[in-house]
Amino acid sequence: MRSEKEMVTGRMQYIDDIVMDGMLHMTVVRSPYSFAKINAIRGGLNHTDFNSEMKSFGEGETGEETGPGETMFAGSHAFYAGQPVAAVFGKTKYESEDNADSVEVDYEPLKPIMNLNDSLKLGPVHGSMKSNVLKRTLLGKEFSIADSHIDLSDSFMMERIATNPIEGRGLVCHYDDNKLNVWISGQSMHSIKSGLCGTLNLPPDRVRVFHVDTGGAFGLKGGMYPEYAIAGFASMKYGKPVKWIETRREHLMASKPGRGVRGDITISARKDGKILGLKGKVLVDAGAFGGSIAEFSPRFIGYQITGPYAIGNVYVDAQALVTNKPPQGPYRGAGRPEASFLMERMIDRLADETGLDPVDIRLTNAATEPFKTPTGMTIPESRSFLQDAIRELGYRNFRKPERPGFSFFALLPASSPGEGARIRCSEGKVKVWLGGNTHGQGHEFFVKSLLSTEFRIDPGLITLEYADTDMLEKGEGSWGSRSAMVGGNAIIELARRIIKRIEKEEGHYAPEILLDGEYDEQDFVSYKKTLISYGANLVTADVDTYGNVHVKECRSYYDVGRALVPHMVRGQIIGGCMQGIGQTLYEEISYSEDGTLLTGSISDAGLPTAEKIPEFTVKYAENPSEFPHGAKGLGESPTIGVPTALARAIELASGKRIRNTPVRPDYLIG
Amino acid sequence: MERKVNFNINGKKVDLNIDSRELLVDVIRDHITLKGTRIGCDTSNCGACTVIVNGKAVKSCTMLGVQADGKEIITIEGITQGEELHPIQKAFMERHGMQCGYCTSGMIMTAYWLLSNRKNPSDEEIKRYFSGNLCRCTGYQDIIDSVRHASELMHSEEEKIVVEQR
Ligand code: FES
Ligand code: FES
Repeated sequence: MRSEKEMVTGRMQYIDDIVMDGMLHMTVVRSPYSFAKINAIRGGLNHTDFNSEMKSFGEGETGEETGPGETMFAGSHAFYAGQPVAAVFGKTKYESEDNADSVEVDYEPLKPIMNLNDSLKLGPVHGSMKSNVLKRTLLGKEFSIADSHIDLSDSFMMERIATNPIEGRGLVCHYDDNKLNVWISGQSMHSIKSGLCGTLNLPPDRVRVFHVDTGGAFGLKGGMYPEYAIAGFASMKYGKPVKWIETRREHLMASKPGRGVRGDITISARKDGKILGLKGKVLVDAGAFGGSIAEFSPRFIGYQITGPYAIGNVYVDAQALVTNKPPQGPYRGAGRPEASFLMERMIDRLADETGLDPVDIRLTNAATEPFKTPTGMTIPESRSFLQDAIRELGYRNFRKPERPGFSFFALLPASSPGEGARIRCSEGKVKVWLGGNTHGQGHEFFVKSLLSTEFRIDPGLITLEYADTDMLEKGEGSWGSRSAMVGGNAIIELARRIIKRIEKEEGHYAPEILLDGEYDEQDFVSYKKTLISYGANLVTADVDTYGNVHVKECRSYYDVGRALVPHMVRGQIIGGCMQGIGQTLYEEISYSEDGTLLTGSISDAGLPTAEKIPEFTVKYAENPSEFPHGAKGLGESPTIGVPTALARAIELASGKRIRNTPVRPDYLIG
Repeated sequence: MERKVNFNINGKKVDLNIDSRELLVDVIRDHITLKGTRIGCDTSNCGACTVIVNGKAVKSCTMLGVQADGKEIITIEGITQGEELHPIQKAFMERHGMQCGYCTSGMIMTAYWLLSNRKNPSDEEIKRYFSGNLCRCTGYQDIIDSVRHASELMHSEEEKIVVEQR
């Protein structure tokens, strides 16, 4: 893999840098309407040429999706603004954009459903459904509490936001010699491969997917999209390489945004801050189709809603609702930040109601021993970590009137079902392939560090290769704070198998034997548990007279198990903190009532700039996990912990109850 | 409409026939095939395409190729001397001023411009100069540290040259 030197010299090879002989550029013609009947389409490649349904979407996939799934091109209706209607091609990108004018579509606009209330109230978007409820799960058990002193109810909304890596989606497909070869910016080559096989109806041995340098992803690039299948189809049809590069505008309108979650929560508590029960309704804006993470999101949020706390009674009604927006996708945290926001906001509210310190309420409710929640999640003891966090973050050193926001959370990484890897030693070099693909987390660092220790060889002899589905049979993907954990575990396991084999054949292991020999091991190393870890944040902020929030300090304290590559751990935490700040203060994909997309640029979408950064403090606990390398999950921690702590800091600075993200200035001065 | 242009890019003269509507970033990437300059948006917000035109940092998606006619351009590929990295590049490596690397070319070119104007920028100045360059991965802190470190490295290189000349 290319690394830091290539980054600073401009020599990375991202997907848009690939050029092939005879390559066609693809431009997608999209519905401008959030909901419309399509009476006719003339020109371009369209649903009359290719009409299959979405298969495989990676992160959050359970195999139990019911749909309705998205078709690769809109057919009789367009269900969201940005849905692909046709595709055109050209020898250059300018030519292909010009050709978009040749497509004529006769639309009959319909009244779209653009929010959760309308989705509940109005008739179904899809004729095949009885209502707009795509999926409903009840978690925990109904209960009533006689001796509670306080019952508090509140309602919260986290608006949809775009993942917005600086490099959007993109791929090059080349159908050659009966095989579809695909180079793609991504997080999981295997998920893309099964999506292509499924939508194009090709057997696995006729599709090969290669990873290229990837300019960020944050959930965006884990699974399948219509554009990928269309590019593959076109390459097969025209017998030429086909390239598609997403524009930012397309990203904002037609990639899968994250969040879009409402929670209506009631807690019952005693005056001393002990929470006796939580009832909630969680509503997820699924967008126009099922067969996406939206089917899993509500259940996942409900499952972990009580976070690190031991709360004896929980009942959650979790629903995914259809709207006329692009299907929901995972964005860094993917359900975890949403769950934590609902719980932590209620704890802060309870503090205001009782006059207790919010941190003391957290201590009162933290688990003093392993605890199985009514929703079925088992959490480890959490109180001692919280005590450490309060100290390490310096919470008690603040004196009135200065009061910081504080958050405490449980990170449930996607450690299950494990990860695939391959190690090949040949000609004195060690090459590694991983099922989860780096998009900026520096997987090559932990691969080198772990394997040089296992094999006792110079890290310079070890390379992480670009993922390639022909080189590695089975793989999962990079998401859910999993890669260092389960990817790291897989390569250690394989390295140890090689060492064992050498010991058996040669009587002992020595690095020279390894480097002189030829060894090749690959496997999917399974891990079926969720390895929970804890984290906490402290944030301070000011609000000026215009309602602008200035974040002053952002402190993090996370249990990372063991920091495999300290500078990456620090970088991941600070980068994630900034995304947490972005979600809380600026980021949103918004529409007018009639379904017009109002977010026209990456700046409108609210990406924070360098001027917005606070002072960061990064600390971590290293309580080793059960993995041989000791590491725990990390990547999503800041996007869970920061919005909740910042929301409290704003509440303290402004005196306004914070219920929604992003927190807009007009709300704070209104 | 085809137009003839010539400019100096990274010290080399080039003569090209380009379509008059082509953006400078596309001319650099697709005609001159210098791929280190990136495209991250379509509204001139992200700064991934930043290059130096006649000594000033310019987002190369805000300019047409024909407008660069007769000008002097420096891209990320033009700041290394052979294999010898520029101190800014060294500083970004030493302070890990990148994660996915996609914004990095633009960040380094903006730093190149800033440090040619201001030898010792304060953190506030750095942030201001970089307000047109977006990074989704790093949270900017390591980028700011890299730029500060680069200014130190450039100072010490200057001092070294002075000492050698003596
Ligand atoms: S591509 Fe030029 S500013 Fe984004
Ligand atoms: S390092 Fe990924 S966008 Fe800056």
